[in-house]
Amino acid sequence: MRPEQIVEATLFASQAPLTAEELARADDELTPDAVAAAIDTLRAAYEEQDRAFQIYELGGGFQVLTRPEFAPYLERFDSVPRPPHLSGAALETLAIVAYRQPIGRIEIEEVRGVGASSVLRTLTDWELIRVVGRGEGLGRPLLYGTTDRFLEHFGLRSLDELPSPEDLPVALAAAE
Amino acid sequence: MESSTGQDVTEREAERPRAAGAPATATAGGESFFVELERFRGPLDLLLHLIRSQDIDIFDIPIARITRQFQVAIGDGLAGMPLERAGEFLEMAATLVRIKAQLLLPRPEPLDWEEDPRAELVRRLLEYEHFQDVVHVLQTAESQRGRHFARGYVEPRPPPRLQLPPLETTLEDLLRAAAAMPRPRPAAAFRAPSRPVTVEEKVSLLRGLLARARRVAFDRLVRPWGTRAHAVAALLAALELARRQVLRIEQASAFGRIWLFPVRAPRAAGAAGSTETGTAEEAE
Repeated sequence: MRPEQIVEATLFASQAPLTAEELARADDELTPDAVAAAIDTLRAAYEEQDRAFQIYELGGGFQVLTRPEFAPYLERFDSVPRPPHLSGAALETLAIVAYRQPIGRIEIEEVRGVGASSVLRTLTDWELIRVVGRGEGLGRPLLYGTTDRFLEHFGLRSLDELPSPEDLPVALAAAE
Repeated sequence: MESSTGQDVTEREAERPRAAGAPATATAGGESFFVELERFRGPLDLLLHLIRSQDIDIFDIPIARITRQFQVAIGDGLAGMPLERAGEFLEMAATLVRIKAQLLLPRPEPLDWEEDPRAELVRRLLEYEHFQDVVHVLQTAESQRGRHFARGYVEPRPPPRLQLPPLETTLEDLLRAAAAMPRPRPAAAFRAPSRPVTVEEKVSLLRGLLARARRVAFDRLVRPWGTRAHAVAALLAALELARRQVLRIEQASAFGRIWLFPVRAPRAAGAAGSTETGTAEEAE
């Protein structure tokens, strides 16, 4: 079997993203580098053949997903629960955690101007954030960071894909 | 920057269709405005809305006017709010009043920006607005991701009710097995107490049969009596004799017929080793 075929079979059979290391476990001959090369080959082949799916990189893993233009057809099948759209409060909190991690509850609340305990609990339950450590200071507060599931939820390869602060419409420019 | 933030505010307004609570129409300083407190995620969100929707220069906020508007906006909504959330709005109202008071103090010369009582509030507002941009980026990413579907999305068919038997069976096998079943005996008109069956009895029966035949079908030991006690006794007898190496048991396939072969003395071993079928010597 060619490496591309082995990688293709493994990705096809998986419902969740797999890292190059995980994919390499499929065969003794495979290395993460060989997996990466195989994925490049497969991606180019799917592109050329105009397939309805493609291999996407999410949160450091690879997953076969349909292309966005097929969403209208698939949305007719609405029987399987999909991840919910996050609320404004959840997105606000995630935005702060993503850019300021590791960060404690008090700092998040200072930015938002509102309490954050319950939203932090919900986001932890959904594994979009996790406790990454404890801060110095009174009570050694819990510090939060984003997870791979966070990247998956937003279809991001890594945190680097988020725009850098300078590229946002409102940069934190020093007041003139 | 000004145009993009203006657009941002209107877009954020459009994102809040799930407004609840009665809208408050307030008139403050001559301008009429319209606020649904429920739509705002907190005091910073409301304050930013007041500033951006009136095209106010964030570095020169008319504190008196904004404070008045803020107070009017929260006035009606606070009553229905959970205490904690109401407290968050009240804290901001108090901050605004404090800043207003500080600005009223007489000063010998104009303030530097660093000394301006509004500076800290402006920093927080800008920071908050910055994260609203991030929220916007995340929202876009989330809806783009929502247009990709993974395997398993389309509902799987319900699993079949009936589990297939674990055996490889054909219809023919099934019919043959059914035909081979002993017919249920008609209910007896009277029931005589049955004689107890002993394993020893079956052992001697088996020995007798094996002495005269090349092989014996196991069901022959059971069929004439057809009761469970006979079947159990016959099985134990066969196992006992197999253990004593008087006979050996063979079954060619699962649920096939069980054959018992006598283990002969060495002189006849060659003949006994054969499993040829169809000879006249079979005891059936």
